[in-house]
Amino acid sequence: MEKFKNTPVVKAIGFNRIVLIGVILLMYLIFAALTPVLRGGASFVKFERVLSALNYAYFIGFLGLGVTFVIATGGIDFSLGPVMFTSALISGYCLMHFHWPLWLCILVSLLIGTLFGVLNGYFVAYRFLPSFITSMASMQIAKGVGSVFTKTQSVTWPASGNENSWFRYLVKWGNIPTGLILLFLIAAVCAVVLNKTKAGRYILCIGSNREAVRLSGVNTKKWEMLAYILCGLLAGAAAIFYVGAYTTVQPGLGDTFNNEAIAACVMGGTSMAGGIASILGTIIGALIVALMQEGILAMGFTISYQYVLTGIIVLIAVTADTLSRRKRV
Amino acid sequence: MGDTILTMKGIDKSFPGVHALDHVDLEIRKGEVLALMGENGAGKSTLMKVLTGIYKKDAGTITCEGREVEYTDPRHAQEDGIVIVHQELNMMGHLTVAQNIFIGREPRAGLFIDDAKMNADAKKLFGQLNIEIDPQETMSRLTVGKQQMCEIAKAISHKAKIIIFDEPSAALTDAEIEQLFKIIRGLRDQQLGIVYISHRMDEIKQITDRVTVMRDGCYVGTLITADCTKDDIINMMVGHVIYENPKTESHVRPDAPVVLKVEHLNAGRMVRDVSFELHQGEILGFSGLMGAGRTETARALFGADPKESGEITIKGKKADIRTPQQAVAAGLGYLSEDRKRFGLALKKSVTENSTLTCLPKYCKGPFLNQKEERKVTQQYVEALNTKTPSIDQLVVNLSGGNQQKVVIGKWLIGDSDILIFDEPTRGIDVGAKQEIYELMNQLVEQGKSIIMISSEMTEILRMSDRIIVMCEGRITGELGIEEATQARIMHFATLRS
Repeated sequence: MEKFKNTPVVKAIGFNRIVLIGVILLMYLIFAALTPVLRGGASFVKFERVLSALNYAYFIGFLGLGVTFVIATGGIDFSLGPVMFTSALISGYCLMHFHWPLWLCILVSLLIGTLFGVLNGYFVAYRFLPSFITSMASMQIAKGVGSVFTKTQSVTWPASGNENSWFRYLVKWGNIPTGLILLFLIAAVCAVVLNKTKAGRYILCIGSNREAVRLSGVNTKKWEMLAYILCGLLAGAAAIFYVGAYTTVQPGLGDTFNNEAIAACVMGGTSMAGGIASILGTIIGALIVALMQEGILAMGFTISYQYVLTGIIVLIAVTADTLSRRKRV
Repeated sequence: MGDTILTMKGIDKSFPGVHALDHVDLEIRKGEVLALMGENGAGKSTLMKVLTGIYKKDAGTITCEGREVEYTDPRHAQEDGIVIVHQELNMMGHLTVAQNIFIGREPRAGLFIDDAKMNADAKKLFGQLNIEIDPQETMSRLTVGKQQMCEIAKAISHKAKIIIFDEPSAALTDAEIEQLFKIIRGLRDQQLGIVYISHRMDEIKQITDRVTVMRDGCYVGTLITADCTKDDIINMMVGHVIYENPKTESHVRPDAPVVLKVEHLNAGRMVRDVSFELHQGEILGFSGLMGAGRTETARALFGADPKESGEITIKGKKADIRTPQQAVAAGLGYLSEDRKRFGLALKKSVTENSTLTCLPKYCKGPFLNQKEERKVTQQYVEALNTKTPSIDQLVVNLSGGNQQKVVIGKWLIGDSDILIFDEPTRGIDVGAKQEIYELMNQLVEQGKSIIMISSEMTEILRMSDRIIVMCEGRITGELGIEEATQARIMHFATLRS
């Protein structure tokens, strides 16, 4: 076992991540075996099921990537889901009612996400509010702003084949899951930012010991705020992938995705205490969350079961993280 | 003089690596104020913690009113009437005075707390002490002095026989101290035994009847206060220890330029009108007792804490330092006394910590130049002889001495010319200590300048070219190394201005 853990490939990916990939395969097998039993012969092993699971993985993946940066600083963001919905609502409203060009609406979505990131980051980094409270407040603001803007109506983005529907190719082009390619691409960029740039270094060190970094002469406020801005920007991007898959967004919703994104992140090995983060882990975590919801629906359970399971996963992952840290220090 | 209430005999206590108490004796008498004195680390606090059951003694006996006792919990000591009034007050600010005094043992009326009785009881206690405090006032709205009086009232409500005051006057104004003394005299006249821990010589003379002096965990002796002078006490505190390799003369060139000039620095209660100069190639020692304001001065100078006023000149140029960022840019480096809290990102590697002070130097645009970064880290790990399996090791896994070397390396890589070393060898084994001393000497030879804050007399006398002594936020004395003796330093360290 020790020998296996020390091979270069395993070291590069991380032993925990390999276990998680095993978990994905195991889950798939369980769903494949149980679905026909529970649903009278219905099959889980279908390409459509994979695509459907991936649809869910995209936006959870983008949210997870964003919140990874925030958790790396030792903070938390509970406004992710509602910010994503608000970005999709307002930009979609601009598209459908003001007839703005699609590219501009996508920019608007990214901008709205970023603005919420700035809001969270400012109050956390410059006003020293707890990120928990700040993001709870901005979650309420996000929900409210979206509702007010659309006069509490849902917004449906154009379906495939209609005018202004090329954004759907970002998610799926024919049978090619373009969304997966884009998710991996952005994840690679995030991994470079986190591990190979000054910003990522500062973000991780702030998460480990903010005061030591400040006393080393680093402008900790600026870099901490940057983590929240990245998180907001990625929530704005997640919005496009959400509507690209599901077209319709309703005002006042989105908070259930917070926990799923955070669960993806923590499962992947990012420490809630800050300082340790894994982009690859977050992506694998997002795939697990997505596969789980697909499996639960396929087996004929309601989505409520998924909430229960996500909650349990968060508890297990955070407990494991806390225990391993207590052992080390 | 009254009868003995409590005697401690042959008390012995060791912590890993430290013999904190070495067969210490103490006698507390009824109707008497006993001063307990000694330098930092002499063992006063440890002895009091043994007495009140916070620490378990390794050997020795405690006899209270003729009966041998063994406290394993502060509550047991409290039940026997031994209470301590801490320097830092343990009060809950948002509760009322009476609620604080009776917390955990409120008078009850059925299921509910009997507020009326509680307030009346508190009032009675204050009457006993002859002070005016409204029991229904919120604690946080009282002055520190008044809060302390509440703490005393709480102590006597436990039917105290012995009250220990741990540096009670540190946070008080002169008028408040006067009142505190009045209360203490009142308690003495009620035949309580008082232990008074303080560094302030004039207070000792004023309020105490006997003085027990400790040094390096040992009992030195007891004097009748009225029969001794301040110098007698200092001599007992200092002893006639011979220190290894004291510096005999300054190594600073007479024409060395001033690299740092601090004028009238003020920051809160602990930094008052501090002015000094640092020369190139000098090790300037900052000595003083705990709470003298040395660390606070360093932090204010470094921009880590806000300052109210003061001018800082670095190499002839006015420096505007309000944040550590500006301090580092001006060439300052600060090695904190608490490296785990303020010095290191523990869960990060040696490399990641080493370049934290000057990461932009090891970047191409926004990207890290990890090759260069690793090269320079490796170079300094070797130069400082840091013992680590690799530069990718997390610093949390290194020993204290090696962690300290990582912090020093961090400032050397950052190329700071003026280094503030705050307790550079705290919690470090003897071998690593020696290496850090040699390193400091090398650094000043290379033209860097060092401010060294240290509570260890040996270290101060061995390393400094010049010594500044602080007491209660002010500089009370300056000594060239040629004229410095431990007694002289102690004289300034206890000098209230």
